Amino acid sequence: MTEPHLLVDMQDITVSFGVVKALKGVSFDLRPGEVHALLGQNGAGKSTLIKVLSGVNERDGGSVLIHGRQTNFRSAQDSRDSGIAMVYQDLSLVPSMSVAANLFLGREPHGPLSFVRSKPLVEAAQAYLDEQGFPIRASAGVASLPFAYRQLTEIAKALMGDIKILVLDEPTSALSAGEEEILFNTVQEVTSRGVGVIYVTHRLQEVFRISDRVTVLRDGLNVGTHNTADITMEKLVSEIVGPGHERMAQATLSIDEGDRRMVISDEFAAAATRRTPVIELKGVQNGRLRGVDLQVRPGEILGLAGMIGSGRTEILETMFGLRQADQGEVLYLGKPVTWRSPRDAITAGVALVPEDRHLEGLVLGDTIAANTALPQLPHLTRAGMFNKGEATRRAKGAVGDLNVKAPGINTRLKNLSGGNQQKVVFGKWLVPEPKLLLLDEPTVGVDVGARDEIYGIIRRFAQKGCAVVVVSSDLVELELLCDTVTVVHDGRATTSVHISEVEGEERLHHLVQESAR
Amino acid sequence: MSTVALDTSASTPVSKRHAVRELLGGDKPYGIFIALIALVIFFSLKSDVFLSSANFANIGRQTTLVTIMAVGMTFVIISAEIDLSVASILKLSGVSAALFMSEFANNWVLGALVGLTVGALLGLANGLLVTKLGIPSFLVTLGMLGIAKGLAFVVTDTAPVLVDNTTFWAVFYEGSIAGIPVPILWSIMALVLGGLLLHFSTFGRKVYATGGNSTAASYSGINTARIKICCFVLTGVLAAMASLIFAAQGHASRPDFADGLELDVIAAVILGGTSLFGGRGTIVGTLIGSLIIGVLNNGLVLIGVSSSWQIAVKGLIIILAVALSKRK
Repeated sequence: MTEPHLLVDMQDITVSFGVVKALKGVSFDLRPGEVHALLGQNGAGKSTLIKVLSGVNERDGGSVLIHGRQTNFRSAQDSRDSGIAMVYQDLSLVPSMSVAANLFLGREPHGPLSFVRSKPLVEAAQAYLDEQGFPIRASAGVASLPFAYRQLTEIAKALMGDIKILVLDEPTSALSAGEEEILFNTVQEVTSRGVGVIYVTHRLQEVFRISDRVTVLRDGLNVGTHNTADITMEKLVSEIVGPGHERMAQATLSIDEGDRRMVISDEFAAAATRRTPVIELKGVQNGRLRGVDLQVRPGEILGLAGMIGSGRTEILETMFGLRQADQGEVLYLGKPVTWRSPRDAITAGVALVPEDRHLEGLVLGDTIAANTALPQLPHLTRAGMFNKGEATRRAKGAVGDLNVKAPGINTRLKNLSGGNQQKVVFGKWLVPEPKLLLLDEPTVGVDVGARDEIYGIIRRFAQKGCAVVVVSSDLVELELLCDTVTVVHDGRATTSVHISEVEGEERLHHLVQESAR
Repeated sequence: MSTVALDTSASTPVSKRHAVRELLGGDKPYGIFIALIALVIFFSLKSDVFLSSANFANIGRQTTLVTIMAVGMTFVIISAEIDLSVASILKLSGVSAALFMSEFANNWVLGALVGLTVGALLGLANGLLVTKLGIPSFLVTLGMLGIAKGLAFVVTDTAPVLVDNTTFWAVFYEGSIAGIPVPILWSIMALVLGGLLLHFSTFGRKVYATGGNSTAASYSGINTARIKICCFVLTGVLAAMASLIFAAQGHASRPDFADGLELDVIAAVILGGTSLFGGRGTIVGTLIGSLIIGVLNNGLVLIGVSSSWQIAVKGLIIILAVALSKRK
């Protein structure tokens, strides 16, 4: 079975985190000079597999052969020593230093007394870049480079030394169309010298553009490995999504409010179209947004699909007063508004559940009661004093309503699981009821049980007449929750579909992929 | 998929060791209270005069300046900033009050107001520079330490400025109510008002959130810049308050007084369990922290340790306290 010339040969890899099996026997190999794309939804096991290869995660079972030799990495350094280089989404360059200084960081060629002379450093770096075919000037400061060139610098840095295996984790997520070409050219240049590239991505277009083979993972298992030339996009999408939509069925069953579709798509939706939109964007431009038109009506759940970096998050930030519209208009309840800060938006009745709950949503060292009180402090003040009784009452109400599993409202957030932390973020916005609820990736890092509960919470907001906007990379989630899904691409709201027109998640996948074309 | 919805969400039970650690280093300053008792016992055994009501009144009076300034510093540090300029603010606001009374109007109310206003303005300058220009507070207040101190020497021509106003002396130092000397009453007032503000007002909640996670706080609609500015102003005002007490004690304001006092103030706050990384701390802790500093200052003198050694010992204590709080 084992081909002698394989760069990487992983067989039957299993990895567990506690009781959760992240990988249930995955096999993957890489040949010299090929680009092997790795696909799958969030949680399918892509990152776990990559982390086994990079020595971050330890496997429970299976074998890893690198250059035909059995290996057992204990650290990222082990992996690097075996000729494997990782390029992650978040860059590891020092922006204030030059490209050359970054390339040789920590291993600068130096003269007597360890003095580094900058001229030989730049010359050595430039020679290396030219030889490897990177279109970068070694003397340039990293901070002054466009993002794509920073990424190339990162790749150049990763490839220094005797590297035969390069892992790229969603390398184009922050790049514009023109910048992608630069990256693809470099990948071709690198593979022509016999380096094997593992290419993790969500963008199917890119798979067909640059890969030789493609492997799809789902729920910690191999679904298939194909020569890219022999497979169609339809086939790949159906492999990524999987048959049956069990998760959807399961989540739908768990909703006790009755058949959502009947309620919403018939009477509710008909009534909703006659009401004034809670929020409306008209040709809004700022930073990444290049003319967004959107509206959300009371009781409606609008999903924003699209790639990372498409402007989805920026739309939410604009609706929450974190960004102002340079051009165009924001209408709230039919009136134009200019919110200078979240405080203005919150006062008007807008709530945000941000993408990163640790960074933006919660004060982790503080208690549940302290966190749920934060956005409502103006309502919890009597003569300057904090109305602790009322805050306690509200916190208890939130813990009960949202089924937060915690010993009490004085439990510190850092002692709660991800799902319960996320419920507390929702708990910040229960009283008074918001008119517009903005959700950015509401179930990332949340376990399955809590996820269904969160879906229930979101629907209850909508049923009370709150307008909801959900940004999510999980298309099943959008299909489950939303009445309408709008695809965002390159700072614009492109296609918009009513959920009743979408037969299954695959159709959404196609819409997102097509918009990126 | 027949995966049963796993309940991985029940929170981790608080282990015994964890409980002990919470007790020693957590929000409730039991550990530091035990340390204070231990110090009192130690000095009582080593010195005959330590354990007397006269000496305790002494400690109270000597600790006043540190306690009052430490209350303000607690707010600044909980908001995840630092103020190194408190001792210099004390100098400049003190000499301003004294100069006003000797040059313009020998009125204790106006004099006090001038001092407090100067303190507030210096705090405001610190706060604006930190939040609007984004300069780290360490650097801003280090600069302010030099500026305010230098100005204090300039306006006084390096000489003490006499305060010749008996009401001023009585109100800020020499008087007493129900047998309790006024400086102690002033520090009790600072502690009580500071405690109310920090633990029972909405402003206090915002200070904790700003220091605990300023992004989450601003996403919750809190103007974190304004909160930080308020903390710096409060510290400036309290440093000015301390300067009035000092001026009443010596019947003069001296620009050469209080060098290095910021060390005592910061040490008191950190000893009291306030996290240098922001988001945690209590006024009770700060009170105990400043009592420890007071007892150390007093006890070390009584058992004959030189003042040079005292300074070194206090520096050591700051590092020890931070090292202990980091081990959680």
